[in-house]
Amino acid sequence: MPKYMDKIIDMEGIIVEVHDGSVGIDLKGRLGYLEIPMRMLITDYEPKVGQEVGFRMSFIEQLGPEVNEKYVCNLRHRGH
Amino acid sequence: MSISAEYAESHKDSPAVLCCRAEEGVILSSHNLEDPEIFDELVDSGLLNLKGALKIGEVLGGKLLKTCDSLTPLTADLVERSAESFAEEKKEAEAPAAAEPAAAPAPVQGSAPLAAGGTLKIHIGEGKGIDIQIPMGIAAAAAPAAGRSAAAAGQALPALPQAEASEKEEDILVRSLTRKHFKITEVRRGPETKLEGTVLTIREGIEKEAVDSQDIVLDLKIDIITPDQYHTFSNTIMDVQPIAVKEGEDELGSGVTRVFDDVVMVVSGTDENGVQIGEFGSSEGFLDENIMWGRPGAPDKGDIFIKTNVTIKAKMNMERPGPLAAHSATDVITQEIREALKKADESLVVGTETFEQHRHPGKKKVVVVKEIMGQGAMHDNLLLPVEPVGVLGARPNVDLGNVPVVVSPLELLDGCIHALTCIGPASKEMSRHYWREPLVLEALYDKEIDFAGVVLVGSPQINAEKFYVSRRVGMTLEVIGADGAFVTTEGFGNNHIDFASHIEQIGKRGIHVVGMSFCANQGALVVGNKYMTAMVDNNKSEGGIENEILANNTLCPEDAVRAMYMLKAEMSGEEIKKAEKKWNPSVKSQNEELISNVTGKPVELVENETSLPMSEKFKEKYM
Repeated sequence: MPKYMDKIIDMEGIIVEVHDGSVGIDLKGRLGYLEIPMRMLITDYEPKVGQEVGFRMSFIEQLGPEVNEKYVCNLRHRGH
Repeated sequence: MSISAEYAESHKDSPAVLCCRAEEGVILSSHNLEDPEIFDELVDSGLLNLKGALKIGEVLGGKLLKTCDSLTPLTADLVERSAESFAEEKKEAEAPAAAEPAAAPAPVQGSAPLAAGGTLKIHIGEGKGIDIQIPMGIAAAAAPAAGRSAAAAGQALPALPQAEASEKEEDILVRSLTRKHFKITEVRRGPETKLEGTVLTIREGIEKEAVDSQDIVLDLKIDIITPDQYHTFSNTIMDVQPIAVKEGEDELGSGVTRVFDDVVMVVSGTDENGVQIGEFGSSEGFLDENIMWGRPGAPDKGDIFIKTNVTIKAKMNMERPGPLAAHSATDVITQEIREALKKADESLVVGTETFEQHRHPGKKKVVVVKEIMGQGAMHDNLLLPVEPVGVLGARPNVDLGNVPVVVSPLELLDGCIHALTCIGPASKEMSRHYWREPLVLEALYDKEIDFAGVVLVGSPQINAEKFYVSRRVGMTLEVIGADGAFVTTEGFGNNHIDFASHIEQIGKRGIHVVGMSFCANQGALVVGNKYMTAMVDNNKSEGGIENEILANNTLCPEDAVRAMYMLKAEMSGEEIKKAEKKWNPSVKSQNEELISNVTGKPVELVENETSLPMSEKFKEKYM
């Protein structure tokens, strides 16, 4: 289990891509990029590029030093 | 913040805590009390200790004996209780003894003896604004005798045989659907698509026609995977489909359907950059490690897979035409197999099963509302094709505006939904799920209810559209005149907003409603309302998460049984206990135990991901 999950921070981002099934979001302050399926975005209006979004998140922590071979194998098949 | 008198009444058994400073001698009312909903967090953080606190119902009208600050729990030494609150307590102390027999977990059965043997006597000496509620199990049992007294007037028959006769009359067969099963032991490639005995041959070169049928499909490969090849890498499984065809001119949902046993169509694919169609929590990997075998929507162990691997144009995986093209190209192959099945000789039928849709007019009318995804791209479903789980003739529910579409239980079981299947793999309902829908089957065979039908409603993206469709759901159920309803959804995310709204729209019309969804830890509901009191969680995963194992957290027979008993309990006037603050898997096991105590047989539980093999490397490293 992550150790610092209770440390919740406010985040904001900008919708930079809109697809039928997903949106791409640049996190403000160049803190990263998120692509999420439509279902995980709550919208009162039609999603458009340039709209701002907000959410809360904790910091992301490693769950351990181990490498999960299943995911490594899947990445190999993707040609990464 | 203080609470209203009505709110205090509905929370009269919750602890009483002052919301603000109150002076000695004040007569306590709801205005002095804090909302009990916030107590859990205050207790968790150590700001509040409810030990010895009286209930709200006990302090209302009482006198405060000492000046106290806000958030002080009202204990017996702080309050001089009013005469009414003592009277209330006395009444409550007597009530449980009388209510106990009916409090059994199967209220419908539990209440029957009461109706058969006893006399219902209500005496009210003096009163005003009195509401009397009688469990419907009693009323239903009493109704036939009263309603049919005219018919029985000239006869000296005892009441019981008359009631039995009337029950028989009230069983109306609406329609039936017969499935003829054809066994398949081998699938091979050859010059022609045909069925010979139990061997299915798929025409060589059919791939080209499938590719040519869709502009954005660049490539399509067919893999025939037999059980000894389950340890094979596969791209994410988009859908699992039965191969079935209507006989002659029969229409979907009635007549005869022919279906292959032991073989399924499996749709998988990527875009030309290798990105999975149905990205996000995709289930690519070794088949034997990523499939929860035997789930209603999943393949069964022993099934042969006819698996297509479709490559579509780059970046089309998240656009509506992408997943649809992968499904449509696959259906070119399925359709040719269907035609071979249609022509197959009758002597090859290995078994038949018939589903009958009955109505029981005297019983509680129940509707199943299934929320299906409608946000676009892979969040879409093709409704009511000509052939079971086909493409031809079907309309995407997104194009229909996601409004409610009413289907018969037999249409649903006959493949009226071709699911483009959304994310994530563990909770999505694939086409085969509807073909074997456990809740619809449970309701279809239950003679204690009048199962009216199934309402399919899409889940649009934008909130205003969500509320638009959920108001239509409420109105549809009002017109149907339902007494009870199930609302099911798949997966989690913004679909829980309309899921909650459907329950509200149904509940506020006085219709009892049970909600079913994957929730547990990760899929906790984002919104709620006062009608969401009866909920069944479809989670099966150990950690309560989307574990990326295909169909692991979908609705199974064990969930259908719990939901059915919950709805019956609600309809017979029983109160459903409040949910715990955090996900607690033991609630499920307690309910299962209560049900099996009454039915006398255990609720059969399915396995979860812990039953699957782990990769050797994974075992070496971590076990």
